[in-house]
Parts: sequence; structure tokens; C-alpha cells
Amino acid sequence: MFHIIFHAFGEVVLRLLRYVGQIAFLMVETFESIRVAPLRWRLLLNQVAEIGFRSQLVVVVTGAFTGAVFTAQTYFQFHRLGMDSAVGAVVAVSLFRELGPVLTALMLSGRVGASIAAEIGTMKVTEQIEALRALGVHPIDYLIVPRVLALLISTPLLVAECIGLGIGAGYLVATEVLGVSRAYYVTNMLSFTTGRDIKMALIKGTAFAALIGFIACEEGLKTANGAAGVGRAPTQAVVIASLVILISNFFLSFFLNIFFPAGTY
Amino acid sequence: MIQVIGLHKTLGAQKVLCGIDLIVPEGGTLVVLGRSGSGKSVLLKHLVGLFQPDAGRVLVNGEDISGLKERQLGPIRKKVGILFQSGALFDSMSVGENLAFPLRESGMFDPELIRERVAEALGMVDLAGEEGKMPENLSGGMRKRVGLARTLVSRPACILYDEPTTGLDPIATDSINRLIRRLQKRLRSTSVVVTHDMKTAFHTADRIAFLHEGRIYFEGTVEDLRASEDPVLVNFIEGRSGESE
Repeated sequence: MFHIIFHAFGEVVLRLLRYVGQIAFLMVETFESIRVAPLRWRLLLNQVAEIGFRSQLVVVVTGAFTGAVFTAQTYFQFHRLGMDSAVGAVVAVSLFRELGPVLTALMLSGRVGASIAAEIGTMKVTEQIEALRALGVHPIDYLIVPRVLALLISTPLLVAECIGLGIGAGYLVATEVLGVSRAYYVTNMLSFTTGRDIKMALIKGTAFAALIGFIACEEGLKTANGAAGVGRAPTQAVVIASLVILISNFFLSFFLNIFFPAGTY
Repeated sequence: MIQVIGLHKTLGAQKVLCGIDLIVPEGGTLVVLGRSGSGKSVLLKHLVGLFQPDAGRVLVNGEDISGLKERQLGPIRKKVGILFQSGALFDSMSVGENLAFPLRESGMFDPELIRERVAEALGMVDLAGEEGKMPENLSGGMRKRVGLARTLVSRPACILYDEPTTGLDPIATDSINRLIRRLQKRLRSTSVVVTHDMKTAFHTADRIAFLHEGRIYFEGTVEDLRASEDPVLVNFIEGRSGESE
């Protein structure tokens, strides 16, 4: 019995290590491509438009409604303690350090990660990637670099947008619906939010962008078995990227807190 | 000239190629025959570095391409064009954009020159004026023609055809066979045609190699093949499975 459990656990660990290795290889090849191959600016701009510009609606709605409901819930608890004026600070710091980057990344892994995996997966099973190679075009240069760079450029901006909308919606709910004093709300929010919180949000956003990009591209590139494989690739990309974002966020929070400690001291 | 020396390849648990030796002379056409799944396409993809051999060498114009990295293969692949079985057109691009793609990737940016070369290549495959169509609106035969035009537009010294007539009706098959022959005469390019279609083989070949159980079972001219009394070859040519009713 113990032998079977040990064997199964070993299998899982080996599969995990193999996957991490594949992602690491893809990262190395991508950075090598960025270093040696000319950048395809037109493709990069197309991807920035596709990934960044067209993801705004989902990010804006997520940020605004999360900020609004988080403000309301915080107010309901703090109001009992007479701490209404602290609501803005709690909402802003939470959005900067955790909710903004994580929610934006989860939304992007659903919208963008799935689309990248499906597009590259379809190209793989219809021999279009082999055709690229046969025409002397490196698939990493043509497919992966523009997508990963576009994610790295767009995600921090989308994180900022999500946080901005979250704070704005929270302010409206707190001051216009729940009757919190505008002056106290803003003053406390500004005095408890520091540049370190902003840096943490942007660093997390950039890290999550890389994770989404490489996981989605890897899932696309290893697609096999025709239509069934193409159907599986985006699901896998979204599930894996979402789990990795949530797990890595825990460790990133502790690690980044060393360099960007919370609080105003 | 393309030369294959002692090529071995295993995919998964299956030994696909077991010591292939072949020479494709410059300007000549070699047809590789064999049953489905005999490793013909795998062999063809080795000739352009899409597969790396487990053992053996592939020489293209005297240069050993086995073991080269993906980036080092780029210049070789610009000299050796391949027509994929499905055409492998980029489905997000129009026919014209598909043909312009290899030109732009080779550093040609003059739109007028690109337009001329695209029109010339489409003319060669009898599809003049079809630049604006999307791949999803093309028939199987037209896709193969566009795929061939995309291969031709860069004017490669060698053209590889992977099952150029599979899945086509007899008239489209005959049309593609004539097109291949016409291009050989016009461009004098070295060609390798992989097929299991005897009509295509007899129509296009200067020499024929028969791939069987991972080895070159027969190599010779069309006449040699027709004259052979070897039961494996005779059964293949006549399309007999050898099974009883």
C-alpha cells in the first residue's frame, strides 16, 4: 500500500518537474530569440492591441465591481467598530498588493491564455507551425516572442487600470452610497498607500504576465491529436495558469514583502 | 543534390527508418513510393531538417544538415521548398498574403515586386487572380496548388512534395501531376515526390525508390519497376493486398 502511494506521488512529482523543465526551456528559447532575432514590430503591436486593448472591458468590469463590493463588505465590518474612515485605506492597499494583480491575471489567463493556446494549438495540428519552420521562420520568433512581450507590456497597464477602477468604484460606493466622509476616505487612503504598494502591484503583474504567456504558449505548442487536442489545450492553459497564479501569488507576497514591506513605516 | 546516408529514425516505440541510403541528383525527380505509414513523409521531412535523424546524415548540396540547430537550418530551408500534404496554408492570411509571406521573411519589402512575384507564382499553378481568396474558401486541389505556389515563390533549388495528390479526385490528381511535370521542365529544380499513388509516380518520376519496412526495398527507373516480378512490388503496383476473400 505504502509502495503504491509512494509510486503515485513520485509520478506526480516527476510530471511536475518535467513540466517546469519544458516551461524553462521555452523561456530560454524565447529570451535567446529576443536577443538574436529581429523583433517583428507589426506582430507585437497587433498582439498588444489583441491582448491589452481588447482585454480592457473584462478588466475594467472586474476591477470596478470587486472594488465596489470589497468596499461595501469592509464598511459593513468596520462600521460596527466606528472605523468608517479606514475603509479607503484597506481597500486601496488590498487592491494594490493582492486583488488587482491576481484578479487581472486570472481574467487574462481566461481571455488571453485560452486564445493563445487555441490559436497556436490549431496551427500545430494543421501543420502551419511546420510550414513556418519549412519557410525558414523560427516559430519562437514569429509566434511566442510577440505574444509574451505583448503580455509583459500590457499586463502591468491592465493591473493599474483594474486597481484604478477598483479604487474609483470603492470611493463612489463608500461616499455616495454608504455615507463615508469624502475627506477622511481620501486622506486615510493616501496616507496608508505608499509607492511600495504600487511597485508590488506592477512586479506581480509582470510576473503573472510571463506565467500566463509561457504556460499558454507551451500548451499550444504541445497540442496533438487533432480537434480533441485543440479543445483540450485552452482548458489546460487556463487551469494551469490560474492555479500557478494563485499559488505563486502566496510565495510572491512573502518574498516581495521583504523588499516592499507593507505599511507606512 | 540531396544525399541520404545510413538514416535511422525511431518515433515512440516504432522504428520507422532503418538505414536509408538515397541520392537525388541535381535537376532530377525521385519518387519515393511506399504504403501508408511506411515512413515516406518522415524521410521527406528529414531532407529539410524538420526531423533530426537518430543516426546517419543528410547532405544538401554537400552540406550536412543533420544535427544543425533550428536557426542554422533557416538558410537551407530557403533553398529547399516543401509542399505539405494538407497544403499547410496560414488560415489567417489570404492567398496573396500566404505567398507574400516567404518573400517578406527573406527581406523583400517592395510591394510592387512582391505583387509581381505572387502573381507569377499563382500563374504557374493556374490560379492567376486568386490573391484575395481565403484558404477556407478553396477546394482541396486549390489548397495544394496555393501551397505549391507558396513553395515556388521563393524560387527554391529543390522542391519536396509530400503526397501531392492524396485526397483529390482523379481529374484534380491528373492536373496536379501535369503541373509537377511542367514545373520540373520549366524550373529544372531537383524534386522529391512522396506518394502511394502509382499514376503520380509513373507521371512524375525520373527514378523511383520503394520504401518497405524501413528500408529502400527497390530503386530504379520507371521501366525497371514495371518490369519487376518481385511479389511485394507487383502487389503494390497492382493494388493487391494479397489476402484471400
